[in-house]
Amino acid sequence: MAAFWRRRPQEDFSDEIQAHLEHEVERLIESGMTPQAARHAARKSFGSVVAAQERYYEANRWMWLEQLVQDLRYAWRGLRQSPAFLLTTVLTLAVGLSIVTIAFTIFNVYVLRPFAVADPSSLYGLGWRSDASGGQSFRWTDYEALRERTDLFDAVIADATRFGTSEGRTLSVAFVSDNYLETLSPAMRLGRPFTRADGEAPVVVLSDQGWGRLFARDRGVLGKDLELDGRRFTVIGVLRPEFTSLDEMPRDIWIPMAQRPARVEITARLRAAVTPAQAQAALTPLMTRIVEEIVKRPEEVRGARADLRSQATPIPLTVGLLTVFAPIFAAFALVLVTACANVSNVMLSRAIARHKEIAVRLSLGASRARIVRQLLTEGLVIAVLAGAAGLGLAAWALRAGTALFFTTLPPAIAARARLAPLTFDRRVFLFAFAAAAATALLFALVPALRASRAALTDALRGQRSGTLGGSRLRSALVVGQVAVSLVLVVVALTLARNGAVVAAVPLGFDPQGVISVNVRGEENEHTLARRLAETLAVDPRAAEVAVTAGNPMFIRSRPIAAAPPGAPVQGGTRFTLVSPEYFSILRIPIERGRPFSAGEAAASARVAIVSRATAQAFWPGADPIGRTIRIERPEGRPVEELPGYAEVTVVGVAGDVVSGFMVDGRDAGHIYLPMTAADPHAIALLVRPRGDRALGPDALQEIFRRVSPDPERFEDVPLAEMKDAQMYVFRAAAFVGSLLGAIALVLSVAGLYGVLAFTLSQRTREIGIRMALGATAGAVVRLVMGQSARLAGIGALIGLAVAFAAMKVLSAVVTLHEVSFLNLVPFAGGALVVAFAAIVAAFFPARRATHVDPAETLRAEA
Amino acid sequence: MTTRDDRDRLVLMQGTLDVLILRTLIFGAEHGQGIARAIQTTSDDELLVDHGALYPALQRLEAQGLISAKWGTSSNNRRARFYTLTKAGRARLARESSRWRRLAAAMARVLGPEPEQG
Repeated sequence: MAAFWRRRPQEDFSDEIQAHLEHEVERLIESGMTPQAARHAARKSFGSVVAAQERYYEANRWMWLEQLVQDLRYAWRGLRQSPAFLLTTVLTLAVGLSIVTIAFTIFNVYVLRPFAVADPSSLYGLGWRSDASGGQSFRWTDYEALRERTDLFDAVIADATRFGTSEGRTLSVAFVSDNYLETLSPAMRLGRPFTRADGEAPVVVLSDQGWGRLFARDRGVLGKDLELDGRRFTVIGVLRPEFTSLDEMPRDIWIPMAQRPARVEITARLRAAVTPAQAQAALTPLMTRIVEEIVKRPEEVRGARADLRSQATPIPLTVGLLTVFAPIFAAFALVLVTACANVSNVMLSRAIARHKEIAVRLSLGASRARIVRQLLTEGLVIAVLAGAAGLGLAAWALRAGTALFFTTLPPAIAARARLAPLTFDRRVFLFAFAAAAATALLFALVPALRASRAALTDALRGQRSGTLGGSRLRSALVVGQVAVSLVLVVVALTLARNGAVVAAVPLGFDPQGVISVNVRGEENEHTLARRLAETLAVDPRAAEVAVTAGNPMFIRSRPIAAAPPGAPVQGGTRFTLVSPEYFSILRIPIERGRPFSAGEAAASARVAIVSRATAQAFWPGADPIGRTIRIERPEGRPVEELPGYAEVTVVGVAGDVVSGFMVDGRDAGHIYLPMTAADPHAIALLVRPRGDRALGPDALQEIFRRVSPDPERFEDVPLAEMKDAQMYVFRAAAFVGSLLGAIALVLSVAGLYGVLAFTLSQRTREIGIRMALGATAGAVVRLVMGQSARLAGIGALIGLAVAFAAMKVLSAVVTLHEVSFLNLVPFAGGALVVAFAAIVAAFFPARRATHVDPAETLRAEA
Repeated sequence: MTTRDDRDRLVLMQGTLDVLILRTLIFGAEHGQGIARAIQTTSDDELLVDHGALYPALQRLEAQGLISAKWGTSSNNRRARFYTLTKAGRARLARESSRWRRLAAAMARVLGPEPEQG
């Protein structure tokens, strides 16, 4: 079979050598030799025919393939003979490989994988920029103007996505321009896309996720009706799962817009001959006109220009993104490294156990390179099997993780959360294969090189040369493992501690039982908010209703520059416009003075309630009631949201609260100003229902429908769930960190155990002699424990140093609250955990050591 | 023809054989044994060609496309595999011979004139 591949058959070469010898003999006979002497001389000058053939064969270009097949067969035979070895190494590596594969898959889905649409690289998202401002959304008329620019664009599409309700289920609904699906032409699973020919007909195309959510993947869905916010749409198509949207949030359904939405996001397909820079330059006049109409203040127009960003993938790959992702990926990769160290260790013991076999092969003429290649092939076989198993494991973990994500999210958030399908593609397979191949080199090369160096004579005589060096290498591997897992444990502990600290931050108000209602969209929000407030005020199910210019836990309240008259302005003060009920509904104590009166609110009186921190900062030790505060913008401009509020009088002092995000902690200062629902800044509501179940989501929906033809303009989330949602990131980070740390730790314990057990098996005789000479069991245990402690100790020292550096990197990526990353607790905790691991790893080898029978070992020749 | 003792001859250094083969083939097609003999005679029997090493070298040159080979009949009517220089081989030979000449000249300068033999 091999000869078939070779360019020149072996026989042909033999023929040539034969011809050579005959020529030579003839020549020698001519020069006067006897035929016999001539034959002998010819042979002699040629040297070994076999050697020449061998050298010819080795120079052959197909030889490596033939040897590879040989090596593979040999490796497979060898591995099948030791299934336990095969199973442990493959499983260990599979765990490590699956972890990096998971990280890469997520990165791939959001950053690397182009959208499954026609020619994604020519798609550009349009935005506008000026020197002072910028934005991504445009008015419908802007879209129409941009659509005319056929000199720059092949097509321009618009998308206005919002949430809708269909039979009680929340859906992400994309209202798109009628050319949307034609332009992108994503693959259809069922039916057809809508086109311009459909006009404004009430038709809908489902995404794969929406199909499952709404119709449980019913193949007879075409032609069925879909109710959405009281209107009926006919299902005409279902997309394949590859296309979910042109950003990172998957849509459930697409509907051609019938009404002009207030704001749309615009994506353009650039003509082949036009570069983004050219398009940007050509759009400047049009953009200047648009920006003039969008922004309110003339100084924000300066430098108006178009902003084109590539929309080939959900998140563009930038250096900034990589600097955030790299440390996270490194943490995932570290687990793989510990797995490699374990497998390397096992391979090393196997190589030492096989030193005789290798010595025999060396003495039979195999070259060192050949032996190394053979052992590497064995590593490759393990790595490929592990890579396949790792892919399976990763697929399972991603499915389980997605399910876990949705079940652990607070329900009101989960209903609106969407995840892109975390599926594998060519890139992931390629990555998994490359990672497997790299690990094969990582874990198999050193043992292979070491094994091939075995001194022939020693090995054949049965002596294990190189054992000492081998054990030193093994120890180094274990030390490295311990160091890596300590780093991961410290990181995990820090993240968990950070989460706990953030969760423990006293909010200063009571979110329990309060429902937040925000008005979405950018049109007449305050009209909707006012109508809803009026409706709820007379509804017997609502005990209390307050309006605000922004609810706590949703946004950071706005900063202002405020100070007592004559004093320098201090930063860090925030303000919120609230109705008088705000303090009672959130149970924020009024510590001095009084709350706002209804009259003050209605008249937008020049009064304020300040937080305790503000009172202390402005008038330390003095009574703030009755004093005045000067308010201005940080840059000295008037606060436009507060026309006329230049000076206000303090009427009360409220307790300190966390008004925005829990990570930020309590406000450094807060000023509350009065308003009523009639105020144009009232765009959010707080409702405390009378009794726990008085105002469920369904009841609220019913009220929303009475207030607005479009109930999805209102977003209702219980404040307590919003608190959980804010904590979710911290919990998730701590969970993932702990998981990585735990896996690395288990691998290290296994590695440590392996080294101890191996050394023990080598030292059985020595221990036997020691016991015969009177060493107690305790002394033997100390011997084993001492070795474990030494290895773990060195590893821990290195690990602590690396963790120290890693924390500095991590603190640049993760937002922390009131926790220094160089906190003693996680470091001490990590060291304790590793110490415990060292004891666990040493326990069984130590116990086995005490059971060594001196008489037995001394009698048996090693 | 064995006018000299084999031990007295110069053993070829690695890499030199390739150049000598290319050089020999400049006069036309030749088979392996012919090449070996030609090298020996043109070097006044100074160089010892290890016949066993010749064939892997030929194989290597052929794989590199510097020579081509086909079976033919030799002058004494025997079947033999004849090698010819390709265009690439000619170019290589030109390059290599100037390199060797420079090397040999440089070596001679460094080693100086032959010492008087007592």
